[in-house]
Amino acid sequence: MYLTLKELRHDKLKFTALGLIIFLIVFLVLFITGLANGLANDSGSAIKESSAQTFVLEKNSQARLNRSTLNNQDWKKFSNKYHHNAAKLSVNQMTIQKASQKNKKTDITYYTINADSFLNPKITDGQKLTNKNNNQVIVSSKLKAEGYKLGDKFKDSTSNQAFTISGFTKNQAYSHTPVIFLNQKQTHRILPQVNSFNTIALKAKNIKNSNYQVANKKSVINAIPGYSAEQGSLYLMIGFLYIISLFVLAVFFYIINLQKLSDFGTLKALGTSTAYLVKHVLSEMSLLSISSIVISSVITYLIKLKMPATMPFDLSPTIILGTGILFLAITLISAILSLIKVIKVDPITAIGGNN
Amino acid sequence: MNNVLELKNIIKNYPDGQQVNEVLKDISFHVQSGEFAAIVGPSGAGKSTLLTIMGALLSPSSGQVLLNNEDISHLSKKQQTSIRLNNIGFIFQNSDLIPYLKISEQLQFIQKISSKPAIDAKEILVKLGLEQRLSSYPRVLSGGEKQRVAIARALVNQPELILADEPTASLDSKRGREVVQIIQQTVHEENKAAVMVTHDERVLDLVDSVWQIEDGKLKKVR
Repeated sequence: MYLTLKELRHDKLKFTALGLIIFLIVFLVLFITGLANGLANDSGSAIKESSAQTFVLEKNSQARLNRSTLNNQDWKKFSNKYHHNAAKLSVNQMTIQKASQKNKKTDITYYTINADSFLNPKITDGQKLTNKNNNQVIVSSKLKAEGYKLGDKFKDSTSNQAFTISGFTKNQAYSHTPVIFLNQKQTHRILPQVNSFNTIALKAKNIKNSNYQVANKKSVINAIPGYSAEQGSLYLMIGFLYIISLFVLAVFFYIINLQKLSDFGTLKALGTSTAYLVKHVLSEMSLLSISSIVISSVITYLIKLKMPATMPFDLSPTIILGTGILFLAITLISAILSLIKVIKVDPITAIGGNN
Repeated sequence: MNNVLELKNIIKNYPDGQQVNEVLKDISFHVQSGEFAAIVGPSGAGKSTLLTIMGALLSPSSGQVLLNNEDISHLSKKQQTSIRLNNIGFIFQNSDLIPYLKISEQLQFIQKISSKPAIDAKEILVKLGLEQRLSSYPRVLSGGEKQRVAIARALVNQPELILADEPTASLDSKRGREVVQIIQQTVHEENKAAVMVTHDERVLDLVDSVWQIEDGKLKKVR
């Protein structure tokens, strides 16, 4: 530690530059991770946040809710077995507009549910959804960004049916659109010809039924249009960032330590043990990366707080901590090449004026 | 008087392609406490190899190296490192100070890694005329000053033996002579043993004994 601190003090510029590189890479990784999480929530939070664990779909629907059609006979089979742990769900992606402004349209997703079932969401303000045939509906707070407030009226663009926002529920979204919760009677006014529904949500795990496709929550989320493509490319970027930083840092550490090999030779000739020098190099690299990681975590967190609601960004402390630890591991792996060099330095190089 | 360092029948071979190159041929040598010995010889004669064997940096192919009557010729790397730290003070050709340590810290570092009780490092530096340089970095020092710091560093852990590898090589004759004078005074005042490898004949009047090495053979000249 003695040598480490003295060296950091002496070569401030060099180590600040190296720290800056680590900082920028970690910042980019955290930022993209936050974006990936944010988009994942924006795409699948309505499914993710619900207490359903399993979804029953029509056979060969590839776990996609919009490709599955079930009828009341199917419903009876499951409701008789699971009673309150089963709930019908219909998903319809449509468009709404403000009652007063015809050209201000918003893409949304209708979730048709039974208000008495477990799918009826918790609300943050206003009143819960009921099964009455009225105009009172619950919408996702994402709609607030579009200028909708409690008590506002909106019109379904296709059927011209008008509804009133009676309550908001936490950021529930499906395929990047806000979710509007309707009861079956309300949906019937928009889509009078449809008597079927898409899926039966179950609060149970590990169900087998060969007549249907039974999918867990994760596969249903993955099958949401656009979800896996988005997440796949973002995680590919994150993965590559880790690999790139592994090599970039390895090269930087290697060069920095290469410059100091003659000093290491002298130190060894003077009686410094190799273990001491290895500790010196490792503590130098760890100190540098830990401070860079901490700074970028703090800055990412501050940016998260300032992020506009329309930009999906989500970063939990667990993910920040995990990324930090992973990155520390990457820096230490990068240091291995330099360590081999340090271990191999022969103190004889100090004699004979070779350097 | 006791020999601080004694070499008995040292042979050092290096493989050279198919052949074996004998760099040191049956060398015997001794230096006592309070004695300042010089080893002279042309380049390639084996001066540096001899010094690395004396300094526990290299093991001889055969023969004994006795430091305070203990054989150090076949110690492990780890034991050699400890011998170098605690029993030998090195002065290198280009002084080889650590660039990121201030002058007082060059000595402080040796005291930090050593288990020996620390003496007053500042006093040594002051004695060598480096009082104004205590918190300077090596890069602002002149060649002579750097070499004086190197001498101070070699002394700070109170070794019995001082090994100097061409300490005047990077200095002009006046400063070179000053540096050798400082080593001479220290050796005599503190009763240390010192071995200096040099090709600078002009400073040989300052040493107590002179050995000549040629083609791997060492003989005492004076």
